[in-house]
Amino acid sequence: MTYVVTESCIRCKYTDCVDVCPVDCFREGPNFLVIDPDECIDCAVCVPECPVNAIYAEDDVPGDQQQFIKINADLASSWTSITKSKGALPDADEWKDVKSKLAELVK
Amino acid sequence: MSSSIETDAVIIGAGPVGLFQVFELGLLEIKAHVIDALPIIGGQCMELYPDKPIYDIPALPVCTGKELTDNLLKQIEPFGAQFHLGQEVSMVAQRPDGRFDIHTSADQHFISKTVFIAAGVGAFQPRLVPLDGIDRFDGTQVFYRVKDPEQFLGKNMVICGGGDSALDWALYFADKVNQLTLIHRRDDFKAAPKSVSKMRELCDTGKINLKIGQLAGFEVHDDKLSELLITGIDGAKSSVPCDVILAFFGLSPKLGPIADWGLDIDRKQITVDTEKFQTSTPGIFAVGDINLYPGKKKLILSGFHEAALAAFAAAAYLSPEKTIQLQYTTTSTKLHKVLGVGNTE
Repeated sequence: MTYVVTESCIRCKYTDCVDVCPVDCFREGPNFLVIDPDECIDCAVCVPECPVNAIYAEDDVPGDQQQFIKINADLASSWTSITKSKGALPDADEWKDVKSKLAELVK
Repeated sequence: MSSSIETDAVIIGAGPVGLFQVFELGLLEIKAHVIDALPIIGGQCMELYPDKPIYDIPALPVCTGKELTDNLLKQIEPFGAQFHLGQEVSMVAQRPDGRFDIHTSADQHFISKTVFIAAGVGAFQPRLVPLDGIDRFDGTQVFYRVKDPEQFLGKNMVICGGGDSALDWALYFADKVNQLTLIHRRDDFKAAPKSVSKMRELCDTGKINLKIGQLAGFEVHDDKLSELLITGIDGAKSSVPCDVILAFFGLSPKLGPIADWGLDIDRKQITVDTEKFQTSTPGIFAVGDINLYPGKKKLILSGFHEAALAAFAAAAYLSPEKTIQLQYTTTSTKLHKVLGVGNTE
């Protein structure tokens, strides 16, 4: 199993999750984070850190977010590791409650 | 360096599974020393969710992380385990005599016949100041815990964070340093309400300079940290004089040196068998969230089961000539004696 970052993170990228990961399995893109499924050890420590509740256990990913399982796996191999939190994207607070923003994802 | 401690068992990790390991070893009359990186007992239960309800502990319909820890501590009281807190195990290595050397970050040395790694997701360590290059002032101007408050008197101090540690020290140092700046990323403090209102009073009287925002950078003068740059939530930039930073950004777990102890590891977890929960090194067992085996589920209750079987395996390892009988705490007078209950004459 693994944990999966879903749509809520897009254009927000608060990065609070990154600090608590004991195995440094987060990968960073321009406006989204993903979890490398080959590194995640299912400890769930990151889940409550996310201010927009973007992180789910693979088995708990909501129906309309299922595609993010593959998006995490695919992007993890090309994006670089992020191990320390940094400020959220400048307009994160304007995007945090936007529901449908997959089209905004920059790969 | 303090003198070495010789023992039959060392448990690495004082979370629920480490505590129950004390119990299971205790029933078999094996005394244990417990080491944890946190200054408190309870591991994740205390550090991450002390007040959150847990619903899947057998026979406890609901309890909090703190209640679970308190109950376990009560349960293991008869066994007199010794705790060594606030220190991380840096090295475990087998000695020529078959026993294990265990060294901690507090320079404590153990020689133990068996080792139980109940380290969960790793050792909790302070989250670092998120500014590149500032780590070269660690221990001279940047601190993550206060050992000697005297050394900070009269300085320009910056305290970062919004929890109890940050506010307790801010209140303590407010009239003892030259200038005290408290920086927190939002104007919302997790600390005890009483501390927060006291802090606000001290801000009104000018004893504390409160800045809401993010750390943006630092200035160095004569090879010393001299100023911190801050970006306010409104985007405004400012700077404050800074001789010393006390950073309390909370703790995060890191697996750390466990990978270097020569044990078989799979995806950063320690592989064990499911008969003894023994690692690839006989005499070293791994229980709880840190281990991996087919079908592993990271549940506290699984860790309890693993601790029981690991204890029996360790008893056989320690005394191969003895047959270890399974006895029940309901009926065994021997166990009653060990537990200090009932008619023990």
